[in-house]
Amino acid sequence: MDYKDYVKWDRWPTTWCAGCAIGMIFKQLTVVLAKVAVPREELVVVSGIGCSGRAAGYFNTDSVHVTHGRAIPVAEGIKRANPKLKVIVFSGDGDLVGIGGNHFLHASRRDEDMTVICINNGIYGMTGGQMAPTSPSGIPTLTSPHGTPYAPLNIQGIVTSNRRHWFARCSTYHIAHLQKCIQEAIAWQGFSFIEVMAFCIENFGRRLGFKNAYEMLFKLKVDYKLNLKPTDRLADNELGVITHDRQGS
Amino acid sequence: MKRLIMGNEAVALGALKAGMTFFAAYPITPASEIMHILAEREKEIAFVHAEDEIASVHMAIGASLAGAKAMTSTSGPGMSLKQEGIGLAHMMEVPLVVVDVQRVGPSTGMPTLPSQGDLIQAIHGSHGDYNPIVFHPSSVTECYTYTIEAFNAAEESRSPVILLLDGFLAHLSETVDLEAVSVELKPRTLAPLGQGTRHFTGLLAKDGVPQTKDSLYYRQWYARVKTKMLETAARYGFYDYHHNPSAETLLIAFGITHRVILPLKNAYSLFKPVRLFPLLEKELAEAAARHATIVVIEMNDGQYRGEVQKILKRDVLGIPILGGTISLMEIQERLRGL
Repeated sequence: MDYKDYVKWDRWPTTWCAGCAIGMIFKQLTVVLAKVAVPREELVVVSGIGCSGRAAGYFNTDSVHVTHGRAIPVAEGIKRANPKLKVIVFSGDGDLVGIGGNHFLHASRRDEDMTVICINNGIYGMTGGQMAPTSPSGIPTLTSPHGTPYAPLNIQGIVTSNRRHWFARCSTYHIAHLQKCIQEAIAWQGFSFIEVMAFCIENFGRRLGFKNAYEMLFKLKVDYKLNLKPTDRLADNELGVITHDRQGS
Repeated sequence: MKRLIMGNEAVALGALKAGMTFFAAYPITPASEIMHILAEREKEIAFVHAEDEIASVHMAIGASLAGAKAMTSTSGPGMSLKQEGIGLAHMMEVPLVVVDVQRVGPSTGMPTLPSQGDLIQAIHGSHGDYNPIVFHPSSVTECYTYTIEAFNAAEESRSPVILLLDGFLAHLSETVDLEAVSVELKPRTLAPLGQGTRHFTGLLAKDGVPQTKDSLYYRQWYARVKTKMLETAARYGFYDYHHNPSAETLLIAFGITHRVILPLKNAYSLFKPVRLFPLLEKELAEAAARHATIVVIEMNDGQYRGEVQKILKRDVLGIPILGGTISLMEIQERLRGL
């Protein structure tokens, strides 16, 4: 299998802007699917609303594009009804941990067997650039013109507070690490969550003074470093995996 | 075998009889018993006590797409939350049964008292235009029968079918013989996920490809879906009509209200719609044409009366019974006062 087999080319071009991070992450998922040869008939991709939410329709597999924030519960229903299906949620930060936060909290607690890939660009991009629950403190957005007054949501804290968990933080720049993490996440039996640090040039970056998408991509290289050692907690600037397979309380 | 069971239990048993294999819900009075009974079957069916009402309806949508006959149940406050998923299921054409055991509202209202106040919510609760099929049984046996029919109608229409119960009926215990109920089951109409290439979306789409700026296509799509809903509904035109040749007045009532006014059949004609929506236009018009006066008796402030008046295009009187307490004497008194 080639990664191109997992892409619905007749839907090209995508809705994404030139320089968008989502396509890079999308490609890595298709590369992994080809690598581990997941049959397209055993795979379902679910996404919610937002730029990342449009991804479901670009996978050459059965896919579901649902309402805002509800990708996880729809995916849970699919998995419970047919446990043989490999279920992958591919959506954005505002969708998954903002409006869909309650589902994220509880699906991770229930350790539902699914992989969630969360494209975290720290902004509501599709609607023009409003503050997300993941927006960095102090950053101006359309709904926080004087700077985001809050700290971003601690996603790893929520996932890793569950007694059994698999969490990775990746970045769009560190592509080999992202690919490796996607492969591990898909192999994990239970709830696996990948937070991919991404960016949005059109509705976020250009207002912050970035001249082009590459500057934003390069900033991920500068800001983040890989921590490949086993750890219980990743520092704010670290990429890596936190996992715990303990059973019982 | 005859058994004494309550309306909510009959709904749960009807769903199992219909072949339901997925159920998700969130506890709420007066619908929780449906959950309790199905939780006991969690080894036979997929059962999820979800984190909220929004999750449970979306889980049911996912399960239905994956090949399971699926149901969720709630009461008015939860029904308000489920509207998002109901709209999605209409847009994606996903079969599903949503049970709403009505209590007095708005908001938390009077949680333990029955009402029939969610009729308009059942048809207009989600945004945009859509034409749902809505059933309202009026006995414990009917709860069983019309739960099965709701699953059938959901499959044939590929839409979320709403089953309304009033809280009275849900908690009413009656002796029933469920084995005597015979309803032919409709098979699944939607190929389950795992075909390898289909795309389901809440966006307007043609063959899985979003068409979000094509008004002409939206009109064609809407006409097709509306026709599908009306044609399917026509095969589920359940009602009961008792014609009294000496009566000048026709009483229209459903659910527990119909049960309460049954003793009036010697003085009035009685029409009991089970398929509340789409409205039984022809049947109501025929019954109405034979009477000088039409009165709708319902446990809300005239929600069905307004709908009936709209199609009959003549004055329809109403006796709204608000607040959950219902008595035949009060109804008789108010009939005399009309």
